[in-house]
Amino acid sequence: MDLKFLVVDDSVTMRRIVVNSLKNLGFNDYVEAGDGEEAFAKLQEDSSINFVITDWNMPNMSGLELSKKIRSTPEFENLPIMMVTTRGVKEDIVDALKAKVNNYVVKPFTPQILKQKIDQILNNL
Amino acid sequence: MKQPTNFSEVFEKITDLKELFQFGEKIIPIFQSLIEFMKDIVPLMENINKSIAESTNKMPSATNQINNVTSATEMATTEILDRVDSISTALINIDNDLTEILKRRAGKKEILDKLKSEINFNDEQLELLGQLYDQDEIDTFLNSIKEKLSLLNDESYQITLALQVQDITSQQLAAVNHLIESVNDKLASLVDDFHNAQIDKKDVDSIEVPESATFDPNARYDKDKSRQNDADDIFNNQQKDKNKDIASQDEIDKLFSGE
Repeated sequence: MDLKFLVVDDSVTMRRIVVNSLKNLGFNDYVEAGDGEEAFAKLQEDSSINFVITDWNMPNMSGLELSKKIRSTPEFENLPIMMVTTRGVKEDIVDALKAKVNNYVVKPFTPQILKQKIDQILNNL
Repeated sequence: MKQPTNFSEVFEKITDLKELFQFGEKIIPIFQSLIEFMKDIVPLMENINKSIAESTNKMPSATNQINNVTSATEMATTEILDRVDSISTALINIDNDLTEILKRRAGKKEILDKLKSEINFNDEQLELLGQLYDQDEIDTFLNSIKEKLSLLNDESYQITLALQVQDITSQQLAAVNHLIESVNDKLASLVDDFHNAQIDKKDVDSIEVPESATFDPNARYDKDKSRQNDADDIFNNQQKDKNKDIASQDEIDKLFSGE
């Protein structure tokens, strides 16, 4: 399966780190967005995107809101979503589960964790 | 005018008045002390008011400095990432060059082996040829360099990963700015509440926090795996029972309390 990632984070630094990690794992096809609104617009523009990695805290539209919007859009309801965030308290994780994200990575992440979570999501598709 | 019914009533009233005067004599010094106290306390209150206003005015400067720190660290991080990317690209190029050299040397070894099989060299010539193409030793050396390059590449990637600290600290600083903004608002309203204040509220600077500031006040740079493990437990627990969409709060509470 050819994967095209949408990496969503308001921090340029974090986007670069996630993109570098994806490249290290052999995934070279990706697009970037700085917030949930931009991300959703890119999803609508580019039908080849088939994996979303999103931060939680972002201006305009948070990662949680983005996830809910994706799940409520029939076209994208099965799109894999992985949340990568600093938020590690249980209430947040429960909220993310309710928003139907496929997996949850707490920052700072390691490449092993990132790979493991991507693999888990892909294996469950 | 109504006449008192009897003298005893008049005396009662006079006695009451006397007691009132006696009480007044006692209370007047207290009032005087109170006035003196107020005379002393008013300048003190004004000083407090002024101090609060001054402190409040310093807060926007503090938040600006914090914002500057965030911008500076973001710029520095971007520069480091640029350098690390350049180093990684150079290392990959060197590795590709070494791979090409090893490939060409393998080709030359084939030619040498062919020569050896087709031409009858004497022992001395074979020895010299062997020295000229000391294949194994050089190949081992080149492969060792490739391994070191791979290690260097891993190390530079670790630098990239460590730079996640910039995102985490910028969220912590945004949380501090938010806190300062709240305190600033409270102090500004206190200044406003002081009557006869020498400092007007208009003298108190307002704090401009960027609208785009979003943060997790609990963000921390912690390599402890327990946070990720806790998050995993919830997801794994959910997967155990596919009939449930969401893990119940009780289940999550149990997981987090270690039961």
